[in-house]
Amino acid sequence: MRPIDENQLIRTAQAGNAAAFEQLLIDSYDRIYRFAYRWCGNHADAEDVTQLTCIKLAQSIGQFRFEAAFSSWLYRLVINCAKDWHRSQQRHQHGDLEQLASEIHRDDRAENGIYLQQILQLLDSLAEGFKETALLVHAEGLTHAEAAIILQVKESTVSWRLHEIRKQLQSLQQGDGSWEVSL
Amino acid sequence: MNEHDLQQQLQQPTPAPAADAKARHIAAAMAAFSAQHTVTANEESRSINEEQNSPQKKSNVLQGFLQRLRPTRDTNHHGSDSMNNPTFDNRPLWQKPALISSIAASSLAVLAGITFMQHLAINPVNDELSATLAKQTAEANEQRKQSERANDGLLEKKIATDVVEEAVVTGVRAEIPQERNVISAGDTGQLPDASVADALQRVPEYSVAAPPPAPVASRTTAAVPALAKPIMRQADLIKEAQVAGMRENIVSAPELKRANGAIDIPTAPPQEYRDRFEGFTENAVTAVSENPVSTFSIDVDTASYSFVRRQLNNGQLPAKNAVRIEEMINYFDYTYPAPRDEKTPFATHVSVMDSPWKKGNQLIHIGIQGYQLPMAKIPQSNLVFLLDVSGSMDDPGKLPLVKQSMSLLLDTLKPDDTIAIAVYAGATGTVLEPTKVKEKTKILAALNNLQAGGSTAGAEGIALAYQLAEANFNSNGVNRIILATDGDFNVGQTSDDALQDLIERKRDKGIYLSVLGFGQGNYQDAMMQTLAQNGNGTAAYIDTLSEAQKVLVNEAKSTLFPIAKDVKIQVEFNPATVAEYRLIGYETRALNREDFNNDKVDAGEIGSGHKVTAIYEITPVNSDSKLLEPGRYQQQATMNSKSSELAFLRLRYKLPTQNQSMLIETPITKNTRDASANYQQEVNFSIAVAGFAQLLRGSNYTGDFNYDQVIELAQANKGKDEYGYRTEFIQLVRKAKIAKPL
Repeated sequence: MRPIDENQLIRTAQAGNAAAFEQLLIDSYDRIYRFAYRWCGNHADAEDVTQLTCIKLAQSIGQFRFEAAFSSWLYRLVINCAKDWHRSQQRHQHGDLEQLASEIHRDDRAENGIYLQQILQLLDSLAEGFKETALLVHAEGLTHAEAAIILQVKESTVSWRLHEIRKQLQSLQQGDGSWEVSL
Repeated sequence: MNEHDLQQQLQQPTPAPAADAKARHIAAAMAAFSAQHTVTANEESRSINEEQNSPQKKSNVLQGFLQRLRPTRDTNHHGSDSMNNPTFDNRPLWQKPALISSIAASSLAVLAGITFMQHLAINPVNDELSATLAKQTAEANEQRKQSERANDGLLEKKIATDVVEEAVVTGVRAEIPQERNVISAGDTGQLPDASVADALQRVPEYSVAAPPPAPVASRTTAAVPALAKPIMRQADLIKEAQVAGMRENIVSAPELKRANGAIDIPTAPPQEYRDRFEGFTENAVTAVSENPVSTFSIDVDTASYSFVRRQLNNGQLPAKNAVRIEEMINYFDYTYPAPRDEKTPFATHVSVMDSPWKKGNQLIHIGIQGYQLPMAKIPQSNLVFLLDVSGSMDDPGKLPLVKQSMSLLLDTLKPDDTIAIAVYAGATGTVLEPTKVKEKTKILAALNNLQAGGSTAGAEGIALAYQLAEANFNSNGVNRIILATDGDFNVGQTSDDALQDLIERKRDKGIYLSVLGFGQGNYQDAMMQTLAQNGNGTAAYIDTLSEAQKVLVNEAKSTLFPIAKDVKIQVEFNPATVAEYRLIGYETRALNREDFNNDKVDAGEIGSGHKVTAIYEITPVNSDSKLLEPGRYQQQATMNSKSSELAFLRLRYKLPTQNQSMLIETPITKNTRDASANYQQEVNFSIAVAGFAQLLRGSNYTGDFNYDQVIELAQANKGKDEYGYRTEFIQLVRKAKIAKPL
C-alpha cells in the first residue's frame, strides 16, 4: 500500500468512516498477526494479542498524529498490547510444562517450536525493552535507527541492548544450556 | 548459540492467520470502532445536559456486596437524578394538604387501634366494648378510605412513617425504563472494556437480526468477480474466496457458527436414511395392436448397480427406486462382436430366445457394441475436476476415495492432457489451474491438500468449473467436467431446472459433464442423473476403490471419449407375429414416438467401446401366455409378406461433432440367432442380470422365477470373467436371498 493512500485512509477513518477503518484493518491485519505470533511463539496467544490490538487500534486510531510512519505506530501498539496481555496472563500462567509441551506439539514444526519458545523465554527474562528490540531488529529486519524510532529510545540504546543479548546468548552457550541470566 | 542462530529462529515464517479468527477479530474491532464513535457523539450531548442540570454525584459510595449495608432498599445503580424526583418538597402545592391529611388520618387510625387492643387486653370480657370496637374500626377504615380517595391513589401503604419514602421509591421505578436507553449507550461508553465486551457479545445477535437476503447478496457479488476472471492467478482466486468467505462470516453469524461447528465437531450426528431416488413405475405390457412402436434413449450409466451392491453388502435390500434395471444390465462388460470401422460406430446384434421366467414368452435381446477408438485416435482431453469438499464429504467413503479415484484417473491420461481442480463448499475456489498431466506431482499435491468442511454451494461450483473449462477450451479434444459429490447441493439458487438449463447450454458449446457419486445416507440420485443426462455424460457411483478402478481406469476410454451422441432406439413390432411386448428397464429413458426423428431431442451418449443392452419380452400371437384380452371389435391384423419378422429395429445416432442424425435399421426375425457360443453366453448372462434386477424391484412379470435360478443362469454363463465382476454378481444374488428389507 502506498503511504499516500494509507494516510488518506487513516484520515477518513479518524473522521469516523467505518468502511475506511475496515479497509485499514484488513490491510494491516497480517502485519499485526505476524508480529504478535513472533512475540508469543504460538497460535492461540498470538490470536489473543491480535484481537486485543485490533480493538485497541479501533479505540486509538484517532490519536495517531502522523508524526511517525503508521507502521512504526502500529508496532508500538502491538508491543504495548502484547505486554498488557502478558501482564494479565501472569495471573493464570501455564501451570505445568506438560500443557505447554502439548500445545507446542500441536504445531507441526514441533522441534523448531520448542527452540523458539526457549529463546522467547530468555528474552522475556531479560530487562524491560529487550524483547521488542530483538524482535524488531532480528525478526522484522529493521535497522537500529528504525527500531529506535519505534521504541522511542536512542539508536545507541538499541545497539547496546542487542549487544547485551548477544552476550547473554554466549554465556548461555558456555553455561551448558542453563537459563540463568545475570541481568 | 550465536546471533545468526537467533536471527534464524526469530525469522521463521509465521503461519497465516486463521480466516475465522481474522473475521472474528475484525468484527470485534469494527464493533469497538463504532462504539468509540457513538461514544464521542454521546459525550457531546451529555456535556450539554450536564450544564443544564446541576452536577450531582452519581456513583455509590458502597459498592459490591457492601451495597447491602445501605439503608435504602434501592441502591440507585443507574445514577438517576434523584434530586429531580418528586419528594414532598417539590410536589405540586395542591398535593400537600392531601398528603398531610392522609398521614394524619392513618396515624390516628393506628393509634386508635392500639388503644383499643390495650383496652381489650385489660378487659377481655366486654361485649359492649367489643361491639363499639368493631364499629369504630369500621368507621376508622371508612375515614381512611376517604382520605385515600382524596389522595388520588398516590399512596399505596398506610404505615405513616413509610409513606414519604415509599412515594420516592415508586417515583424512581417509573423513571428507570426511560433512562435505560441513555445508560446503555452512554455509560458503557465510559468504560471502553465493558463496551468492547458488550459489543463482542452483541455481534452475533446483531448479525442474526440482519435480514437473510444480505448473505446471499454478498455471496453472489463475491462470486461474480471470481467468475469473471477465471484465469486469474491461483493465489488471487483463493484469496478472493477467503475474503468472500470472511465477509460472509461477518454478515451472517449462523454461517460462522456452522463453519466453526464443522471444525470443532468433525463427527456428524448419526445420519438417518436420506438417499433420494426418483420414483418410477415398471414398464407395463403393451398390446402391439394398440401401440406397436416402442422408443427409448440408450443409457450407459452404471450408478444403480454399485449403489445396490453397497446396500446388499450391508445386508439390506435396496429401495425399489434405487434399482434401475438397464443400469444393472449395462454394468457388465459384455464382449459383443465389435463394429468394423469408425464410420458406423455401432454393431447391433439381435437375438431371440425363450423367456426364462414365463413359459410361452420370448425375449428379444438387443446388444449394441460401440467402436473402440484405437490409441492413436484418442483425442486430447481438457478435464476439470469439480470436487465437493463440504462437511458432508468428511467420511472415509467419500473425500479420501475421491482423491484416490482421481489419482487413478491421472494414470490413464496422456501427458499432454490438462487437468484443473475446482472445489466447492461454503465458498468455491480453484485449487489447481489447468495443468498438464505430466506435472503429476503438482496435481497430486493439490489433491492431497483437500480437506472437507463447510456447507455445499453446488451451483456456484459448477459455474466456476465451466469457467475453467472454457478458459482452456480445446476445440479438437474432449472438454469435460467430472463432478464428484455426495449429491448434496444445499445452498444457493439450485433448483434442478436452473442447473439443468446451464448444463444444457454448456453441453451445446461442447463442454460435457460426468458425475461420480460417492457416499451413502444422503445420496441425491435423482440430481446426479439429471446432471449427467443433460451434460452428455455418465453417472457412476463409486462405492469402493475397485469400482473407481473399473470406471476410471478399465473403462476410462468409454467414460471420457464419446463416439456418438443422442442415441435413440425404436422398435416397431409386427402385429402379425407379436401380440404383446414389454421393455425391461429404461423406464426413466422413455421417449415419445415422434422424438425419434427429431434431432433436437436429447438422448444418451455412447463412449468409446461402450456396450448397451436392451431386452424386450414379447408374447407371440400364437402363444397362450397373453396377459391382455384380444380386442373384440378390432380388426385382426392381416398376415403380410413379412411374416417371418417379429419386429423392426431402428437406431438413430449423431457423431459427436455433428448435429445431423444417422439411421441404422435391422429387422428382427424369428430365427435371428448369432451362431457364436460366446455371444450366446453374454446374452444369457445379461438376462440373468435382468432377472435379478426385476426380482429386486419386485416386478409383477417374473412369475415364479427366483434367486436360485438367477444364480444357476449366471453361473453357467460366467465366461472368462477377467476382473471378477460376474463372480461378485453371483455373490450379490446370494446376499439378496438373505438380505432384509430396509
